[in-house]
Amino acid sequence: MDVVAEVSQETGFAGESGADKLQERLQKRHQARVEDAERRKEAKESQSVAEEKGEYFYTTFNKERASIEELLSSCSGADRAAVTRTLEEATAKTVQLQKFLNDSMLFLKQYDLRQAQAALQKLQTSLTEIREEALPKKKFGFRARTKATDPVSAPVSATPLPDAGTPADSGSTKVDGAAAPEQCSFSNMDNVSLTKTAEEIQKRDVLLTHLTNCKVRLFGAPSTLHLKHIDSCEILCGPVSSSVFIDHCTNSTLAVPCQQLRTHNTTDTQVYLHVTSRAIIEDCRGVSFAPFSWSYPTLEEDFTVAGLDQDRNNWNQVDDFNWLAAGTPSPNWTVIPEVDRKTNWDP
Amino acid sequence: MGLLTILKKMKQKEREMRLLMLGLDNAGKTTILKKFNGEDVSTISPTLGFNIKTLEHRGFKLNIWDVGGQKSLRSYWRNYFESTDGLVWVVDSADRLRLEDCRQELSSLLLEERLAGATLLVFANKQDLPGALSKEAIREALALDEIKSHHWCIIGCSAVTGENLLAGVDWLLDDIAARIFTTD
Repeated sequence: MDVVAEVSQETGFAGESGADKLQERLQKRHQARVEDAERRKEAKESQSVAEEKGEYFYTTFNKERASIEELLSSCSGADRAAVTRTLEEATAKTVQLQKFLNDSMLFLKQYDLRQAQAALQKLQTSLTEIREEALPKKKFGFRARTKATDPVSAPVSATPLPDAGTPADSGSTKVDGAAAPEQCSFSNMDNVSLTKTAEEIQKRDVLLTHLTNCKVRLFGAPSTLHLKHIDSCEILCGPVSSSVFIDHCTNSTLAVPCQQLRTHNTTDTQVYLHVTSRAIIEDCRGVSFAPFSWSYPTLEEDFTVAGLDQDRNNWNQVDDFNWLAAGTPSPNWTVIPEVDRKTNWDP
Repeated sequence: MGLLTILKKMKQKEREMRLLMLGLDNAGKTTILKKFNGEDVSTISPTLGFNIKTLEHRGFKLNIWDVGGQKSLRSYWRNYFESTDGLVWVVDSADRLRLEDCRQELSSLLLEERLAGATLLVFANKQDLPGALSKEAIREALALDEIKSHHWCIIGCSAVTGENLLAGVDWLLDDIAARIFTTD
């Protein structure tokens, strides 16, 4: 509305008062516009953060880049261990710089972004070149374990990880397949009767390997159970809260309640099973199933400890990973006929 | 805030990532996936095939593929490699007998051309078991320090309790985001 009024006024006066007044008015409006622009600029500046300015980005970026370049140039002539350390540091710094660039992406101009990206690319390339030159593909050998004390767990992770600070019990740990003391196990036995009590196996991971002609009774609720290289054994176990893993088992009888059963490379074995989700077989022949029927005084309580539902048993729903044809049943497993099922488990 | 900024922010919101979860059978891949998604983990069956979940986390849309790890399924893993941003390798830390298998499978995966750009997160799972190896021991057994071709990180976790799952996925997202969302 004001505009309209002003315009009509302008046209009304323009003819009479001549160029002087017009000049003055124009001057005034120009002044107002300049002031307005000034105000807006100020408001904008008060809103933006110091870190979100091209200039700040530029100085920081270049400073970091220079420090990485310096690191890289210090590599020539240094000994191997020093080069490794320097390269690790340079890698970590480069990753950090990349992250900084990413975070700044929102307010950078296209041109600046491309420039910075190109600079980073160049750093990456020279980093790779120096690494290849100074540390050619390693052959196997012994080396100082400086990494174990490194607070940053992975060489490339820029931020320290939440669990990076926890002490690592490395060094003494054996990973060659031998059982460690904290694992509960029976190995390499022949013709013996073995028993474990609830105190020994409750919530533990239990491992049985290389047993022949043995009778095993595991009373209690372990977390998980692994059986490997079992021949002609009878193994009875209380409720397992997660999975049972069987590999290379032959001519045996097993009885176990569990959440999952995974059976591999097993032949001519009977399984008396209580499984709350599914049982699977892979590379097996002549495996037969029946519902779990072993019992001992504290079985009920152990079911509760294991968190298994006693009313849900999918013992006869077995998936064969080598028999994916729908409709025709797998020839690798069968159900034990009721008359042939074992009912007496006494030794 | 200019129009361009708004557009950029909107685009950020649509950020999508594809994560592929692999590992030997019985490692706990499906349990990790379900736990991360807040589902019940007590009814999980061995995976015959694969599971896929799409979920939102920290403003990213994650497509997580969980492929069965049985020996007979491993040859199909390669069907899932295409356009993978992050590889999650899950290890049963208590399964000492198969660590060598585990190392071999992982190292052959890392030679895959279609996984060349992917970030690797190793979950040393089942840390809730008393017999579990520490993540340092797993790191050594899998020779992770030899890996120069991929960004990697190992995290000890328990899918059953949910411990450290978030820390692992957060690291993975940060690393991937640093790589793929700059030059657009």
